[in-house]
Amino acid sequence: MANNQDGKVTAILGWSLPAIEAIDKLDRPYVVVGPPSFQEFADKNGIQFIPWDFEQLNERSIELSEKLAALNTKVAVPIYEETVEWAGAVNAYLNDDPRIFNRSLLLRDKGLMKRKAQMAGIRVGVFEEAYTKDDVFRFLKRMNEALIKMDGDVNDPIHVKPLNKAGTVGHRLIRDAHDIDLMSEQEFPCLMESHLDGQEFSCEAFIHEGKIMFLNITEYVQLGHSNFIPASPALEEWRPQIHQEVQKLVDAFEIKYGVIHPEYFIAADGTLNFGEVAARVPGGHIFELIERAYGFSAFQAQILCSDPETAQEELQDFFPEEVTSAKGYAGSLMVYPRVKLIEKLNVPEELKSNPYFERHDMFIPVTSKVAERVGFGNHYGTIFFFGQDSEKMRGLLKQYEKYDFYL
Amino acid sequence: MGTETMSVAEKFQAALESLQQAKPFAKSMYQTNVFQLAIELAETDEGLDILYQQAPMFDEAGVFHSGPWEDASKLQPPLVGGSLKVKGVNSIIELLSEMRMLSIAKGDYEHSSLSQEEAKSFLNEVLALNLDLLFPPETEAARVEGGEHMQRAERLFKYLGSELSYNAIADKIVGEIERLTVQRPIMVDKIKHMIVMAKNMVDSNIDEAVKGSLKKFQKAIDAPTPLSEEAEGIREYQSSLRNMEASDLESEAKSFASSIRETGLVSPYHATFIRFINRADPGLIPAALGLSETGTASFNQQKDLVHDIILLAIFPQTCQAIYGLGKMLDRGVLTQDPIVPALRRLLELDIHQRVKRVLLKPEFRKAGISANGILVAGTISALGQPLGVGQGLNPTCQSARAISLWAQHGIGQLLENIARGARDNDIDMTFEGEVIHSSELEDGVAGGDIHQDLDPVSKVLVPHLDKIYNEMMKKTLLRGEDGHKWVNPEFYGEWIPRGFLNLIDPITGYVTEFDAFVRLFYATHHPDYNEGYQLIYPNPVGIYITNVHASLLGLHAVSIQRIAEDPSGEYRIYFYNPNNDSGQNWGQGIEPSVAGNGENEGEASLPFHQFVSRMYAFHYNPYEQGDTYMVEDSIVEEIKNIAKESWGESYTWAE
Repeated sequence: MANNQDGKVTAILGWSLPAIEAIDKLDRPYVVVGPPSFQEFADKNGIQFIPWDFEQLNERSIELSEKLAALNTKVAVPIYEETVEWAGAVNAYLNDDPRIFNRSLLLRDKGLMKRKAQMAGIRVGVFEEAYTKDDVFRFLKRMNEALIKMDGDVNDPIHVKPLNKAGTVGHRLIRDAHDIDLMSEQEFPCLMESHLDGQEFSCEAFIHEGKIMFLNITEYVQLGHSNFIPASPALEEWRPQIHQEVQKLVDAFEIKYGVIHPEYFIAADGTLNFGEVAARVPGGHIFELIERAYGFSAFQAQILCSDPETAQEELQDFFPEEVTSAKGYAGSLMVYPRVKLIEKLNVPEELKSNPYFERHDMFIPVTSKVAERVGFGNHYGTIFFFGQDSEKMRGLLKQYEKYDFYL
Repeated sequence: MGTETMSVAEKFQAALESLQQAKPFAKSMYQTNVFQLAIELAETDEGLDILYQQAPMFDEAGVFHSGPWEDASKLQPPLVGGSLKVKGVNSIIELLSEMRMLSIAKGDYEHSSLSQEEAKSFLNEVLALNLDLLFPPETEAARVEGGEHMQRAERLFKYLGSELSYNAIADKIVGEIERLTVQRPIMVDKIKHMIVMAKNMVDSNIDEAVKGSLKKFQKAIDAPTPLSEEAEGIREYQSSLRNMEASDLESEAKSFASSIRETGLVSPYHATFIRFINRADPGLIPAALGLSETGTASFNQQKDLVHDIILLAIFPQTCQAIYGLGKMLDRGVLTQDPIVPALRRLLELDIHQRVKRVLLKPEFRKAGISANGILVAGTISALGQPLGVGQGLNPTCQSARAISLWAQHGIGQLLENIARGARDNDIDMTFEGEVIHSSELEDGVAGGDIHQDLDPVSKVLVPHLDKIYNEMMKKTLLRGEDGHKWVNPEFYGEWIPRGFLNLIDPITGYVTEFDAFVRLFYATHHPDYNEGYQLIYPNPVGIYITNVHASLLGLHAVSIQRIAEDPSGEYRIYFYNPNNDSGQNWGQGIEPSVAGNGENEGEASLPFHQFVSRMYAFHYNPYEQGDTYMVEDSIVEEIKNIAKESWGESYTWAE
């Protein structure tokens, strides 16, 4: 495996055991920057660690950069949404290139992100930033006027979401004035956008020197609930177009190194609409699924691609061929309890004996009260599947999406 | 990896291997899958076999890595049942822990710090403590309610039971029953439950001596006499008593008496018998209670009162009070003049509605027993077994200690408090000139929430005492010294000497002047150093409770009953522990004994220095002490070392 002998250190921003395990296996020196509560664990396990509170304002990024530089750090790799701009600041400092930081900000402000994409000729929906509820009223009204809706017609919905949160956190669907009333003042400013029809999917593109080294397409069966890798033949058919779109995005955002996780909607005729993009580890167990399907660690891939010094040959050896080298389809179903109090776990024998079933990690939680849901945030367990037929996979994920595993 | 062909067993093995290969920091990510597959396997007996076969691997792979189960030598049998019975991931980890223990016990896995014998003993104790899992109730309802994890626990116990010797388990059970009964608690429900559960053991192939012991206990709570053994039920038994010769009645009386003397447990037939002779032949009562000469004399003196007490308070449902009645008479309590009318008053007292509700459990109500009957039965139990008063599951050791103290030395005050509490649902005490009424107070130590598994006297008094005690302590909060110094003498009464010492500085929380603490205790309490002053009344002291590994569990209140030489000539401290389970292991070889070292019923004891090493506060009479400098340095050093290596690790020592 890749071995960087220069003694330079890679910094992981954010505490993630899978990421730590991955870099540990790469056998290169590393430091983890994470919440102070992990200090004891890190000390006990001999993990080089800098305690850091990412929630505070970015003003102290120089301090973090200096600390990392003192450890001979060459690159910072962000794990979570909140650490993306920190990585941008640190890498800007380490490379003495302030633009790196500004580029990272593009990824942290969904309004800026959309605007940038639009300017680069990437198809996006209609969008605007909202600062008050009045803005949302007006946007909803103007959108539906543009759609030539008459009085009494049902509105086309719009979406609002926070400018800087991961995935579906804070996402709302707005159909009428009542939905707007439900919004609280804290949700502003936010991004509004038109509803895009079509099949949603995500890509995980590993970028080095501005070029896509490996492009994974993740097919969403039900957003926030289930997905599988690689995508079905029907979606993979569009891979050349998708590849081209992602490269367009990489060029527009001047992304040179690391992983990006954009989301698109594809219409039946292959038209691609860009949703949004993040430069961090995607949710939905996607990295785990990549490893299961292709056999390489996506975390290691991210780390290698984040490092400008990684040799091209090394990367070519590292990545297998897209799609054809996959050993099968790997899917995951995230389970949310539909009860307020969990009394019983109900995993049907039929599921457990299905050849596609691999494992699940559901337990009856110690506190049986179910926490309120934020976005698609806290799911209560995941079921992993693996098999050779994408349609069977889709069928299973759909079949069990409605199943009550918690009673 | 063709997963299609992998069985659960193979998956488990693979999961275990992945776990083993993971570095320590990453183990937690791989444990989940091991636990999930273990749940699957634990669904069948064959699966349990597979888990057992892999058990020697568990430690090396890291199944218990960085969790409470990590070190097998630090586990405690009493905690096992609880973990198995909760839903969630802990119950499966607990199961795997038992499998590891079994593989140590059977010699299939050699553990670095836990021997084969220790593992066996651990599992035997676990089974003995959880007979309900070993012999589960066979009703369908119990099964459905239990849920999957309960069925799993029962399957595990069946598995363990078949692997271990029932003999050793039965031995543990008998030991446990004996340990508890020898302390003669008033509340015996837990003991009776164990005896009933152990019934199934008698039919299995176990040692004759153990079997005999179990049978003895079973007879004691069921049918301890030849005639009661033949009877189909209480009604038939009483009918047959009518046709008996006087001499047969007398031998029946003696059989009952010897059974309760031996076990401290009373059979419902005994109550039937006493009610019968109370009418037919009261002269047999001393024999049926097994009274001493003093007891017989006080019975003869107060025949009418005893007659009425039996009539009103002794029923098959309250039969356990018979033991207290005998002991009360033997103490000669009724020879004290004011006690008789005070007891009579309880027979006729107008009991407050709320207190009635608390006293009348459904089984009493069904049998038509009056609240006065329950109250009197409880009162004679307390007077007969002052050291049998227990705190139950409540953090109210202070209140239990007060009831026990009054039952010994302040009977008048106790009966007055009972009457006040039962009739007025209020008790008042004076603290430094100020009258405190419990009915005007909100919270107590127990937060006003008293667990009701208590004797009747405690049920009536503890809610009040707890609030008053708490209020008194509140009033001393800002004095910069431990409030017990002032509270104890006022709360318990004039029996408590005014001198008081606590080794913790309340301002800093540090251990201060430990040497002086030890020296003063020796100079005031140890017969070799205290100029021969005797301890007259029980001394309420504060102790640190530690677990079997000598780690601090918390603070506890006990009373020193007396200090005397044991049969081997060593000075011991004999004390009353309101938790009614005095024989717990405190670590460092400190294990209070409850019998065999000169203990009276209900007392626990420890060698003098061992007790001192766990103590943090005591009262003393400043006018009755020897010279502190006469206490040898070596004694102080020894005690200090024991203290520092146990509870002392949780404190800062100011030296």
